[in-house]
Amino acid sequence: MKKNTFYLLIGCIAIALVCIFWESDEMHAPLLIMGAFIAAVALIIFARSKVTDLIQDERDTRITEQAMTRTMQVFWVVFCAFSIGAVVQMLQFPTFPRPPPGQHPVTLLSPRMMGFVQLGFLCLMIFLYVGFRIYYARKYGEWDTDEE
Amino acid sequence: MPGSTGNGIPMKNKIKVFRAMNDLTQDNLAHAIGVNRQTILAIEKGKYVPSLDLAFKIARYFSVNIEEVFIYDDEIPAEPAK
Repeated sequence: MKKNTFYLLIGCIAIALVCIFWESDEMHAPLLIMGAFIAAVALIIFARSKVTDLIQDERDTRITEQAMTRTMQVFWVVFCAFSIGAVVQMLQFPTFPRPPPGQHPVTLLSPRMMGFVQLGFLCLMIFLYVGFRIYYARKYGEWDTDEE
Repeated sequence: MPGSTGNGIPMKNKIKVFRAMNDLTQDNLAHAIGVNRQTILAIEKGKYVPSLDLAFKIARYFSVNIEEVFIYDDEIPAEPAK
């Protein structure tokens, strides 16, 4: 498989996933999108192994490793801070003495919002990873040119 | 010849010289040893220090000892690791 075909396939999979997400929401079937996402990732990994004109050498691997390491270093701090805050909030329930009627205790985050928060963290990871990847790719001469 | 690399390792190399001697392009060399052209360019410019495996492959490709292609220069002050 050619590199461009692989990229085209990724685009098709992404569009299919958006459609499945929509359908999953309509049908109130979260398992549908979950299964589809796992299948999509498996398909992408399989397709990538079939690409013939994509050379991944040790420099690429090093860039990926460095970017991933830095991403995890930042991410675990943010995630840990959030988790500690969530635990503190959880320990305050139920609050005694109870607040006066009509006055609700301040909640940073309702449990129903966890899905959105997780998606937010995922987006943060992706942005961090892309940023670090650009930084290390530049450091290791990805976009350098010479006379040839 | 590139000096201290981005990895903080004081390493020089003569890949460009050997390429010229063997009339090779970066692309030719990259294909021969199974890496990207950009990797050869990064090594030549001193932005990336190859692994021992890759360094030996390059040296063997030119049929020389590794020390003839890669020179560990103690006199170059090493950059602090970032």
